[in-house]
Amino acid sequence: MISVTLTVNRVHHEAAVEENITLLEFLREVLHLTGAKEGCGVGECGTCVVLVDGSPVNSCLVLMGDADGHEVETIEGLAGDDGLNALQAAFVAAGAIQCGYCTPAMVLAAEALLRANPQPSPSEIGEALGGVLCRCGAYSKVLDAVSTAAAKGVRP
Amino acid sequence: MTHVGDRVLRVDALEKVTGRAVFGSDMALPGMLHGAVLRSPHAHARILAIDTSRAERAPGVRTVTTGQDFPFTFGASIKDQPFLAIDRVRFVGEAVVAVAADTELQAQEALDLISVQYEEVPAVLDPWEALAQDAPLVHPDLHTYRRGGHEIVPHSNINTVARYVHGDVEGGFRQADLVFEDEFFAHALSHAAMETHAAVAQYRPADGGYTLWVSTDRPFQMRNELAAGLGLSSNQVRLIVGCVGGSFGGKNTLVAEAAAVALARRLAGRPVRVELSREEDLVASQVRMPVLIKLKTGVRRDGTLVARRAEFLWDGGAYASNAVGIAVRGPRAVFGPYRIPNVEYFSRMVYTNKEPTGSYRGYGTTQAAWACESQMDIIAHRLRIDPIVIRLRNAYEDGDPWLNGQIMHGVNARETLEVVGREIGWGRVERVPAPHLRRGKGVASMMKETATPTSSNVVIKVEQDGRVVVLCAAPEIGAGQATVLSQMAADAIGVPLGAVSIPATDTATTPFNGPVASSRTTYHVGSAIRMAGLEIRDKALALAGKVLGVEPELLDLDDGVIVERGVGPRTTLRELLTGFGAEGFSLLAEARYSSAGSPLLKADAGLEWASSIFWMIASQAVEIEVDIETGVIRVVKAAAAADVGRAVNPTGCEQQIEGGVVMGLSNALFEEFIMQSGRIENGSLADYKVATIQDLPEIVPCIVESDHPEAPFGAKGIGEPAAAATPPAIANALFDAIGVRIKDLPLTPAKVLAAIEAAKGQGVFEEMGLR
Repeated sequence: MISVTLTVNRVHHEAAVEENITLLEFLREVLHLTGAKEGCGVGECGTCVVLVDGSPVNSCLVLMGDADGHEVETIEGLAGDDGLNALQAAFVAAGAIQCGYCTPAMVLAAEALLRANPQPSPSEIGEALGGVLCRCGAYSKVLDAVSTAAAKGVRP
Repeated sequence: MTHVGDRVLRVDALEKVTGRAVFGSDMALPGMLHGAVLRSPHAHARILAIDTSRAERAPGVRTVTTGQDFPFTFGASIKDQPFLAIDRVRFVGEAVVAVAADTELQAQEALDLISVQYEEVPAVLDPWEALAQDAPLVHPDLHTYRRGGHEIVPHSNINTVARYVHGDVEGGFRQADLVFEDEFFAHALSHAAMETHAAVAQYRPADGGYTLWVSTDRPFQMRNELAAGLGLSSNQVRLIVGCVGGSFGGKNTLVAEAAAVALARRLAGRPVRVELSREEDLVASQVRMPVLIKLKTGVRRDGTLVARRAEFLWDGGAYASNAVGIAVRGPRAVFGPYRIPNVEYFSRMVYTNKEPTGSYRGYGTTQAAWACESQMDIIAHRLRIDPIVIRLRNAYEDGDPWLNGQIMHGVNARETLEVVGREIGWGRVERVPAPHLRRGKGVASMMKETATPTSSNVVIKVEQDGRVVVLCAAPEIGAGQATVLSQMAADAIGVPLGAVSIPATDTATTPFNGPVASSRTTYHVGSAIRMAGLEIRDKALALAGKVLGVEPELLDLDDGVIVERGVGPRTTLRELLTGFGAEGFSLLAEARYSSAGSPLLKADAGLEWASSIFWMIASQAVEIEVDIETGVIRVVKAAAAADVGRAVNPTGCEQQIEGGVVMGLSNALFEEFIMQSGRIENGSLADYKVATIQDLPEIVPCIVESDHPEAPFGAKGIGEPAAAATPPAIANALFDAIGVRIKDLPLTPAKVLAAIEAAKGQGVFEEMGLR
């Protein structure tokens, strides 16, 4: 067992965990934050993307020891008390959601992009979201949603 | 105030965008154990002995079970598949031993402690070899298995034989000016839903039954399959279905469920969860059925089709799953949306020692359309007729008879072709941006029936607060079912969309429905919802009339408000029902829709069974760019049209159309299983590539409408047609670009380069290259 300290969605956590558990397992099984999904477990599908210190990472590849001291954001922390954030609202409005399994990861990857680059080109959006697979093929409306949110300039 | 036809926001969007939606793979229960499965390393072997003693003593392990302990079999059309292998394994990846432990890791580690002794026997990996007289038999006991009424060949690997004849094909070929004969191959594909197969199962010692929390698109069919497999009555099996993280036809049979149930039986009521890894999902669930198609078509010089004969050899894999219907019905789509007076098909499906196959978005249509539409292009070029023109010349018009004499209503093939031609700039030669690149355009159409007859049952109740609850077994698999069904319920009753909810399917409380398959949900469940909704409305108005002392005929229900004609709003549905106070009042209605017996199904004598309650037509035109140095094809633009009847939710239709193009181009260009001695070598998403957002072309979704006399609110179906036309449209665009024809999928760079080399030898490529 190792002891780790991290914040998840602005809440401070101190936990004793098995050395070999991943951040994804910690989020899903210990904190019961199931918005991040395990689509492959080996960093190839992107459905487990969360933000670590603001950057999108495949949480299935992060061992808890490496999450120690970091700030994690998941989809559950994105919406405020007053409702969806601008990007989430844009996903809903654009019809960018189908089965919804990849949606949390898509939104978070786009969130990280817009924080770093508020006016991305379509190819920059493609690069930023290229690691998140969507088998429903909702890409066209995902692209619309991210472009619309960027054009509105509403920073989440 | 109506909602049908509006671009309403998806009713499931909020829970999905916030991460609150609970999928099958998210399900967790108190005391839940975790399962893992040991799988066969051999394509075909006898199991001589299994030693599980060390695994049983491993830390955290609660039970270990084998096919000997749980000797049951299942199968939708042939009862041929064991829950866990019994005496013999028939494909690499078949489940042999299952372990349940306190944690997933403990269960997986225990697998290493199990030893299985196998004796390998000859495997059959090729469908032609499977036909040979002396071929090893994958199922020597096939003739003894319980099955439906379809034809098999006993003591062979042929588990399905189907034929269809209409007209006089030989006579048709004699009348033809030209006869074309080609062979096409459509490959195996993974559904690759982002949510892998997952199930939680719990044994109920009290009644010997099971409760399962699963991700499936056919709750009642899976329930019945499980009950039949275990010799239980169907109400002893209860299935609860949450959000489904994509299905595409893949989540229709017992995959994770089989091992979960076998484990649960030994756990005295403790729930156990089995979730497939991505590798297991790719190599050991089920795949699209590969098929070899021989197609012979007679045409007149003006492009009129006069006769077509098709022969299908389906490579069915180790178990029949629900693929029998594909071999029986799938070939119909090889005749496309075209009038052909003389047709015939002969279809056989064989067992092979490979991953089982099953339904895959289109149920055989994607394979059949690949052959049909590739050959239509070959015919068009040979006759020097424009590929859109030749299709229009043969395309069904509303009121034409289908190949069994059924009069087709609500078909609009013409407009689907015309609109995609316009949108793609058909006939316009696009500027080539670099010397090593070529551009080309291609078109393809498809037509598909829906499973007929099937039924849907619905119960609607209106609660005290005026909220409408629709009980129907139509899990939201991502295609937007919940939204369009809510829209139809709201309009049938006269309430706001937000007042309607559709709870998760639970076979213990939800009435029966056919599967969420065959693009049938909007039409069939929608029909039942419309019927029950209108009854609720009548009951509400009758009740309001009584309470208000007004003739119900003078009342109307709109947006939840009860309005008296000439007077104005009188009360609301909510006020009406809460007025009963503690005494309480629920409005209830039930309805059943079945397509059986519809006058629309009338056909030639003895052929009514082949009728379809509606027909779906889609056309696509694509523009591609091919790099003649690397062989890489990029889809630049796709115009995709679907005749949907009436669009209940245009945004939802666009989601299906756009998603269909993405899946179709992914299937055609990137996806391929690499097999070595029966073993799939690329069991990961790094090596089995699916399209990413960076592969997205410009897509122009085109919704085409038509008049169907019985459709609820005019709506037909759209889920399957969306993906079928893309692969042949790309292949046809490749021919347009560089003059090479590839007849076997996928269209990989290596194949493109080889085709270019071969064409160079014939001087074709130089001719095209100079263009």
